[in-house]
Amino acid sequence: MLLESVKRGARRGLAWTDAALNRVYGWRYNPLYHSGAVVLVLFLVLLVTGVYLLFVYHISAPYDSIVQITRQAWLGRWMRGVHRYASDAAVIAAAFHALRMLVQGRSWGPRTLAWISGLILLGCVFICGWTGFVMVWDVQGQVLAQTGARIFDLLPIFGEPISRAFTGERALPGAFFFLNLFAHVALPIGLFILVWVHVSRLARPGLFPPRRLTWWLSGALLALAVFWPVAVTPPADAFMLPGRAAYDWFYVFWVPLARAVSPGAMWGISLAAGAVALAIPWITRPRLARRPPASVVDERFCTGCEQCYLDCPYEAIAMVDRPDASETGKSALVARVDPALCVSCGLCAGSCAPMGVGPAGRTGRAQLTVVRDFIAAQRPEARDVVLVVCDRGAGGVAGATEFEGARVYPVSCGGNLHTSVVEFLLRAGAGGVLIVSCPPRDCWNREGPKWLEERLFHEREAELRERVDRRRVRLVHASAGERALVRGALAAFRADVAALETATAESDIDLERLCELAEAGTEAPR
Amino acid sequence: MSPAVRGIFGVVGGAAVLALLRMASFVPYTAERDVGAIVRLAWRARGERVQDCRRRTPDELAKLPAHMRQEEVCEGRILPYRLVVEMDGAAAVNQLIHGAGAREDRPLYVFQDLVVSPGTHRIGVSFTREGAPPADSATGAGALTTPARLTLDTVLALGPRRIVLVTYDEEREQLVVHDGSAR
Repeated sequence: MLLESVKRGARRGLAWTDAALNRVYGWRYNPLYHSGAVVLVLFLVLLVTGVYLLFVYHISAPYDSIVQITRQAWLGRWMRGVHRYASDAAVIAAAFHALRMLVQGRSWGPRTLAWISGLILLGCVFICGWTGFVMVWDVQGQVLAQTGARIFDLLPIFGEPISRAFTGERALPGAFFFLNLFAHVALPIGLFILVWVHVSRLARPGLFPPRRLTWWLSGALLALAVFWPVAVTPPADAFMLPGRAAYDWFYVFWVPLARAVSPGAMWGISLAAGAVALAIPWITRPRLARRPPASVVDERFCTGCEQCYLDCPYEAIAMVDRPDASETGKSALVARVDPALCVSCGLCAGSCAPMGVGPAGRTGRAQLTVVRDFIAAQRPEARDVVLVVCDRGAGGVAGATEFEGARVYPVSCGGNLHTSVVEFLLRAGAGGVLIVSCPPRDCWNREGPKWLEERLFHEREAELRERVDRRRVRLVHASAGERALVRGALAAFRADVAALETATAESDIDLERLCELAEAGTEAPR
Repeated sequence: MSPAVRGIFGVVGGAAVLALLRMASFVPYTAERDVGAIVRLAWRARGERVQDCRRRTPDELAKLPAHMRQEEVCEGRILPYRLVVEMDGAAAVNQLIHGAGAREDRPLYVFQDLVVSPGTHRIGVSFTREGAPPADSATGAGALTTPARLTLDTVLALGPRRIVLVTYDEEREQLVVHDGSAR
């Protein structure tokens, strides 16, 4: 209950932020929509700058080499700056990515692997960061090392307390800095494997943001490094208590707590926080009765066209041999859904011309029944525009039955919408159909708006039939916080529809009959 | 919103985010607040090892695989040391230091921070072995064993936020003071 209210609040905050950024940068370049891909770009930036720093860093004189690097005004200083700021930005981007997945309910079921691997990735990012700061061996590095050692000394696995290494009894050996350097360099290589695991359940993972955003992001970090370079902080001194110094709160956030409580308490807090984070897929999983059903293939209608298999964003559909193909004369292949991989997005329902696949209640056939009832109840007229809106975005319009005088027809996802619904709305006499989906990179089901646009305007299966007047169909993208955008798009579309000839309801359309057939499953409605 | 206004908002917004990033990346913080100075006691001592050894019976040996038939088995531990510290005549520490490890058979480690006010302080440290190995006990004593008693009595001068280290010099076999000035 509490978690739900927190999620609702966070969702509202995220919607507001998205809307503000969409207004300024447009949804294509909204960095928050690309937060996961941005982390990967920052990782590559870290790799490039890190390779340079690796060649000029000396484990025998760590602090002095950092001072030398920082003194190189034309290369070293900004290389170090970009390296540092990119690592900070990576934490922010990763946090936004995790937040979006959490509040949008994309953290459980088949997405559990992505959540857990994402947490491990974040943990590795922190370890890389900590080892990087220790390598500098300034006050911050010393505090990090001493605080970490104090915590780890509680474990009965070390021959002698690690903390003793930092007392000044003897100079820190080069091996210590070599170990840090090794972890700092070796771990990122392992991160590539983890990234692969992280996206392994996705078809066509969006690994990189748009090129323009990549350049802007890299340029911004470079500008920051040039105009506000990373300063050199005082060196570590075993015989001086760490005084006031500048600390990087993206990585050192836990130090004040660790210094205030005992190592045992810190272990308790860390383990509890880690356990909660890892348990999120089970904590946020809806109760069984409320869990959306996985897609099901009605093999009677499957033509083996492979479109649902191609469109599924989660690789949950496979094409398998049809056992009775030779006897029935049907296609040799038939689609099969793996319920363990299906997130119930319903995109397959929109992809299937014969309406033979989809989650219960959201198949093409089920949508025909719903649109029949909608038409019967609303009776759209020639000048009316029907708003077909995504439940998750569209300025939050989906909850209303009417918006600015237009009837609202909600769908669970733009990608779930079968184009026959649009066709029947127009054939029933509506003047126009305005479809409002989420911005493509904000789709809760990854590829809904992309496939929807291709089905409506680019003849992707199941395409909107040729006889439908495209002037009466419009698709706009609006996030949950962009109600004004929906209002503006509706007004503009209404004006365009008004300029068209008056729409007429088709007399030969027998929706009742089509729906009855669809419900009975005796005939494909298209 | 016109493209020009969007551009201005975009640049200003981006710059604001970068400024926030920079600020969060360099937050002034004092890791050790309200602390005058520290006297740090840190050393490793190889204590006297006492062992109880016995010979296995032929029956016991017969039950063991051929390669594990060691006739004599010993279980040992390191004798503890008592650490007593007096600061300006007042008792600051009185603690029994045991050998590390679950069986107390590893070297002893001393690691203590004593917070003091800046200035001069007289410190007295004694590190004394508790008990003696029984005469009939087999011992693992070697040339490197820490002496049975170590003492230090000196005056320390500590500036604000300074750390003075009291440690054991294995070569000189005595407690010594480091204040970082020799480095």
